[in-house]
Amino acid sequence: MDRRKFLKASGILLSGTACAPGLPLLTGCSSTRADRERTLSKYKWGMVINLEKCRPDCDACMVACRKENNVAFHGDKRWDVHWIRKVNVREKDSPDTAGKPVPLLCNHCEDPPCAQVCPVQATYKRDDGIVIVDHHRCIGCRYCVIACPYNARYFNYKENPDWPNKEYPKRSHGVAESCNFCAHLLDQGKKPACVEACDKINAKALCHGDLNDPDSEVSKLISSNPVKRLREDLGTEPKVYYIGL
Amino acid sequence: MSIKGVWATHRNAIIVTVSTLVILFPIVYSAASSILIQTPTPFLELPDEKYQECVKDKEYMRFHHMDLLKEIREEFVRYGNRGDVSLGSCRGCHTSRQRFCDRCHNSVSLSLDCFGCHYYPEPDTAS
Repeated sequence: MDRRKFLKASGILLSGTACAPGLPLLTGCSSTRADRERTLSKYKWGMVINLEKCRPDCDACMVACRKENNVAFHGDKRWDVHWIRKVNVREKDSPDTAGKPVPLLCNHCEDPPCAQVCPVQATYKRDDGIVIVDHHRCIGCRYCVIACPYNARYFNYKENPDWPNKEYPKRSHGVAESCNFCAHLLDQGKKPACVEACDKINAKALCHGDLNDPDSEVSKLISSNPVKRLREDLGTEPKVYYIGL
Repeated sequence: MSIKGVWATHRNAIIVTVSTLVILFPIVYSAASSILIQTPTPFLELPDEKYQECVKDKEYMRFHHMDLLKEIREEFVRYGNRGDVSLGSCRGCHTSRQRFCDRCHNSVSLSLDCFGCHYYPEPDTAS
């Protein structure tokens, strides 16, 4: 073997050994990841809120949400965080009328503005359509709070003093957050806490389910009732539908 | 022979010796200090006798537990796959955070921010 051939062969051998550890990245992992995505993309979670059934003085959903998700409540509206809140909507011309209570929560848009503006991809849309925040990545820039047209996102200006549900993490000071349809409960096959609470008091105003499945309760409600979504003109395609808005 | 004479005759040798000493000093210093000054390895409280095996072997966990935790986190947060292992399941065996996690991280001056959000209780000291 002459010198030139020897150098060539050793070069090939060396580059081969250098690249070998990277091979599993190309082959093994990618296929499993695709499988995982497929299991989530089966679903498209959505919610229907029947305002005719929603009780004006009831706050069961809000209380249940706080308890389940450790949502910060300081008693001061500058710092309070709401994943679901009730707003009293009145006619513009007659402000003295009783008004209609409307529960507002993250609309889990099909085209979420909050995820688009996030500079670190901390906010993203999961394959089942849930818009969720990876609080490990959030840098607290608050772009998403500004971008959300529904004011559904809140910033943790202070550490949450309470920790009612120890199984679920709370958020530390300096991250943005919003409703995530209780994704940890959905993954276990349960319903979100607010829906559970609403069913418990027998109001049944909130209904949560799979929009992909035509036989699910939400799909039936949407097809059999005149439903509205908030600010449809923005083109964000919300997945929270209102009956009687 | 005067100093000037030595400098004139051995200039190159002096420059090479001094610069070699300067360049090698940090290496020699750190090597010597690691041999001479014995830092005690932090004593970690091992779990109860009945728990013999961790999720991975001891050596892997010692050096790569953070990689494992990150992997699990990515899997759960991004893809909704809750595996058998989680930060919460660590506390099944390693009951005390102060005597397990904190003891090692404190000795190497690493501050953890896991527990600002994730619950890791201290065992009841009275019992």
